[in-house]
Amino acid sequence: MVLNAAVVTRHVDRALSSALFCKAERQSRFLRFVVDAALRSPEATIKEFEVGMAVYDRRSDYDPRTDPIVRVEAARLRARLREYYEITPSDGVRIDIPKGRYVPKFTSVAAPQGQAGSDLSILLSPFRSLSPDPADQNFCDGLSEEVLHKLAQEPALRVVTQSVAAWLEQREGPKPRFLLEASIRRAGAELRLTLHLTELTNGGSTRLSNIYRATMNDIFITQERLAEEICSDISAALRADEVG
Amino acid sequence: MHSIMIGHLRDSVSLLPMEDLRPVYEFYRRLFELAPEAQPLFTREAGQQAKKFSDMLAWVIAHLEHADELRKEMRELGARHRGYGVTADQYASVGSALIWMFQHALGDRFTPEMEEAWLEVFAFISLEAERGAREAESTSIDP
Repeated sequence: MVLNAAVVTRHVDRALSSALFCKAERQSRFLRFVVDAALRSPEATIKEFEVGMAVYDRRSDYDPRTDPIVRVEAARLRARLREYYEITPSDGVRIDIPKGRYVPKFTSVAAPQGQAGSDLSILLSPFRSLSPDPADQNFCDGLSEEVLHKLAQEPALRVVTQSVAAWLEQREGPKPRFLLEASIRRAGAELRLTLHLTELTNGGSTRLSNIYRATMNDIFITQERLAEEICSDISAALRADEVG
Repeated sequence: MHSIMIGHLRDSVSLLPMEDLRPVYEFYRRLFELAPEAQPLFTREAGQQAKKFSDMLAWVIAHLEHADELRKEMRELGARHRGYGVTADQYASVGSALIWMFQHALGDRFTPEMEEAWLEVFAFISLEAERGAREAESTSIDP
């Protein structure tokens, strides 16, 4: 599905009319505010101060350092969106607000097809570091483990982990339907992870392609957050295949 | 819940000077500044209310590894709160006053990692409370 402002706005309208949002007036305003801002100006940043003023009626002396209302509500909104996508059939769009920022991320996910195949097997190729620092490959190995652990909790998924080369050499046994690959680049404390989920049995079509950003502070927490975001996106992208 | 996050939550509570429940009184003072309309919902005597809050905080901290028990308790709490007229938006003020209490009581010892952990756990318990309220509403029979 091609994401444009009209599609995203329809999706937000649908979400805000759901039971999860309809009695959470401020959270609804919060979501609408950040989505509208991002649609108006995709490259813009959204500051905590702006949200506090626009959504929570703070005055000009509002100081986010001592008034955490926006951070509290952002955490609740992220959790509310996750819950919404867990219980609501996909309409082809997913909105996430990654931790550490207020600019939402719009993802096109597969819409329900009713008769979709039920093979949800994934070949998880160990994540690669594109930097020469061996510590970055250690970080990738840990992140791969974290993602594998989380995906393994999904009963509908069958996850195989090995290198693509090893898989290509394998001649026996069932072939995984999807290939998950990711690589990281790091500049100082800033990290970018590029991820591709490809459907191998459908001419190599891309099911999910995202770039994730993180700041390296606590390695374990960074791995945990990235893994959570990645697995949430993968689940959303594959959810249509669980139907039927 | 991640063990590192649980560690941050427990560390932050262990640093609170709770001998005379002063941080809890500060929490309620801040809550009623942020949401004055919520004050009439608290009908207990201030000392009793502070003790109840302190007990709840200790219970949450003791059950961080037991998500199912936390979920059940928070849904029951949300169902009771619905009866008092608590709205989804008022949970935001509770969370804000909670973070403020730690900032105020611990100063620089309240680290960004501790705050992040409290934001996460508060999002979890407040949404479970909201769900409990919705479930109670859907099962209640109007006369």
